[in-house]
Amino acid sequence: MESEYAIVGGGIVGLSLAYGLLDLGKRVIIFDEGDLAFRASRGNFGLVWVQGKGLKQPAYARWSRGSAALWGDYAAELEEATGQSLALQQDGGYGYHLTDEALEQEIKDYTWLKEQLGGNYPFEALRPNELRREEPNVGTDIAGAVYHPEDGHVNSLRLFQALASEVRRKGARFVPKVTVTNVVQQPDGFQLTYGKSNHHLSQKVILSAGLGAMTLGPLLGFKAPIRPQRGQVMITEKLPKLMNRPSDTLRQVDEGGVQIGASAEEVGLDDRETPGALAKLAKDAIRVYPALANVKTVRSWSALRIMSPDGLPIYQESLTCPGAFLVTCHSGITLSAAHARLLPQWMEGQANAPDLTPFSEDRFDV
Amino acid sequence: MSDENQKTYDIIVVGAGPAGMSAATAAAEVGASVLLLDEQPSPGGQIYRGILSAPEARAKILGSSYTEGLAITKAFSQSSVTYQPLATVWQFDESGSLIYSVEGEVTQAKGSHILLATGALERPVPIPGWTLPGVMTAGAAQILLKSSGVVPDNAVLAGSGPLLYLLATQLIRAGSPPKALVETQTFKDALAAMRFFPLRFSAWKMLAKGFLMMREIKKAGIPRYKAAKGFRAEGSKQVEALSFDHKEERLRLECETLLLHQGVVPNTQITRSLRVQHRWNKRQACFHPFTNGVGLTTNSNYSIIGDGRAIAGAQVAVLEGRSAGSFVAASLGFNVDPADVFKQQKIIKKERAVRSFLDRLYQPPKEILTPANGATVCRCEEVTAGKIREYATIGCLGPNQTKAFGRSGMGPCQGRYCGLTVTEILAEENKSSQQETGAYRIRSPIKPVTLSEIAQCSED
Repeated sequence: MESEYAIVGGGIVGLSLAYGLLDLGKRVIIFDEGDLAFRASRGNFGLVWVQGKGLKQPAYARWSRGSAALWGDYAAELEEATGQSLALQQDGGYGYHLTDEALEQEIKDYTWLKEQLGGNYPFEALRPNELRREEPNVGTDIAGAVYHPEDGHVNSLRLFQALASEVRRKGARFVPKVTVTNVVQQPDGFQLTYGKSNHHLSQKVILSAGLGAMTLGPLLGFKAPIRPQRGQVMITEKLPKLMNRPSDTLRQVDEGGVQIGASAEEVGLDDRETPGALAKLAKDAIRVYPALANVKTVRSWSALRIMSPDGLPIYQESLTCPGAFLVTCHSGITLSAAHARLLPQWMEGQANAPDLTPFSEDRFDV
Repeated sequence: MSDENQKTYDIIVVGAGPAGMSAATAAAEVGASVLLLDEQPSPGGQIYRGILSAPEARAKILGSSYTEGLAITKAFSQSSVTYQPLATVWQFDESGSLIYSVEGEVTQAKGSHILLATGALERPVPIPGWTLPGVMTAGAAQILLKSSGVVPDNAVLAGSGPLLYLLATQLIRAGSPPKALVETQTFKDALAAMRFFPLRFSAWKMLAKGFLMMREIKKAGIPRYKAAKGFRAEGSKQVEALSFDHKEERLRLECETLLLHQGVVPNTQITRSLRVQHRWNKRQACFHPFTNGVGLTTNSNYSIIGDGRAIAGAQVAVLEGRSAGSFVAASLGFNVDPADVFKQQKIIKKERAVRSFLDRLYQPPKEILTPANGATVCRCEEVTAGKIREYATIGCLGPNQTKAFGRSGMGPCQGRYCGLTVTEILAEENKSSQQETGAYRIRSPIKPVTLSEIAQCSED
């Protein structure tokens, strides 16, 4: 047997799992594609975010909060190992609302969620005056914000870099620039076919291949009902401090630029940027922070989210090919801590593993 | 701004250098409606910058390679082309629509065909210390000279390429001769270039120009150091000297201005943003957009002509412009004499012949293409060559991954200046070809614009 775990996909999700599995002493190999692959890990917004998660499924709110709670220790460990700051800030974040109706609806939704969670769900609605005490640069033409104290953000590119170098240092084997085209379960493990008909044999296999799971998933008996959803984002030139806390649409990164996101478009495998969508982001951003109007935008980008029908992650061990796992989500940064610290126990069948049944593929049965 | 009031033209030309002006004029002559967008306040491009308003004394300093642009610039000014100066084009759509800003006002325009004539940029010269104040490119010094007549005193010129000699003669005529020329080309380069020595008479005319420049430099008593290597710009707050290896010894030339040049390369930011195919050119050590004989890219709505397509200089750019302008007009149904296009194509072929010789003679040395670890590669985000090499060891196969790992190419220039260096370093580290290593993906806005300009493109 060449490895205990073969991970297909070297993005944030795959690297987080590798990091955790290496901690359990597992032999890990990671297969990854090339420079121009669809990489959600390069396009993400960098939030460690609880707000908005699980508004229809409280288990998802609990899981996201759990991961957010693990983040501080997780980041500290990576920082110590790499000597590089991840700029993690977790002192709350906002969801801005432009109209009163939208804000009222949001308050209602969170009130419901709080009841479902037995009252254990902190949030606060901030009206314009209260909001401006916290964020003096917010404009006058907005209705307010929902504040969630557990929200935060991180330098997600440095997280990516830290995981990539740590996973190598801890001994994972890396096979870059290849596409895994087939996985077959054999009596002695899983045989992966990659590149120009190369083979690798592994005891277990994890699909953390993002959109690649659409084609690989069914080969291992997964439904993998995922689809791409395009998100476009912009970043401005570096600015002096303009905002204290991040929001789900605007955040000032530690290098100083303001990141503005994100569209949600159903356009298939198209990761180009479009002027119409960027214009809408720009317009809304100026409404929330009028000072942004005359700030230069240096770049836009666009990437594809990996969406399940209900937007929740999918954690599933194959029913037909035990030892094969599907791990996919569109919140790879927020969940990175949980993926590294909790999923390996689940894959190993340990007693202290979290209950992941709400995220199984059973929920897609008709 | 909405789709209904988007302006439409038969042809939109981007760039008012020799290629763009010639193409626009040729297409307008046969009746096509042409919009020419250019960033500068007046036509001429980099080479003929400010030519319509240059005082006689300045024209004399700049010499015949400058003043010979007057005829085409005048012809362009008198044509029926709609000329929009001070226009920053910041978004190109694959279908032939583009968005530009003029002093904050945003306009969307659509062309049945778009001719890109956006020229070249100077190859980055990432030697240790090149980010110190007082270190500039030779091209930047020329811009100062052409637009405001400003010349540096006692500058040291270092690198290689015809522009270095041209600038030296211009500085001599302006009364501020450079202190020295420190050149990287070697006797071996000269020998290797002889294989490409052009045998045609018209090529000799161009080479004769070169000899005259050398003579002028020699007559002015400017010392020339050839086969120099190990460049280092020294200084703490400002450049104080250039040090280099020359004939087994380390020399140090004190200076307040160091002008670096290592040739020019096509500016591929726009064609990259369009995701058309590019091809690595080994001799010019840069990417070329993949084009056919008249400059058509792999997106049939776009052509590229002049130095932006492949470095060949102003003479070829004019011919390519005329040829492509006529050809595109003909393809849109305007009446063009095919013999005319054919004739220009024949001359272009001959004129290009001299290029192989110059390319080989002034080939950039390895220490410039893949600089030492300490040298800054990405100036915007301050990423060194050593860092790029480190990212290669943790799995960076291409420039887009180095962007994610270390922010190179993420600044306001979007990798315009570091792109080639990053590709070269990664190719070397990963033992891969430059073609396979690839280039930064370029996204709009191609040039930084304000958020309110972007907001003007809103559909509602």
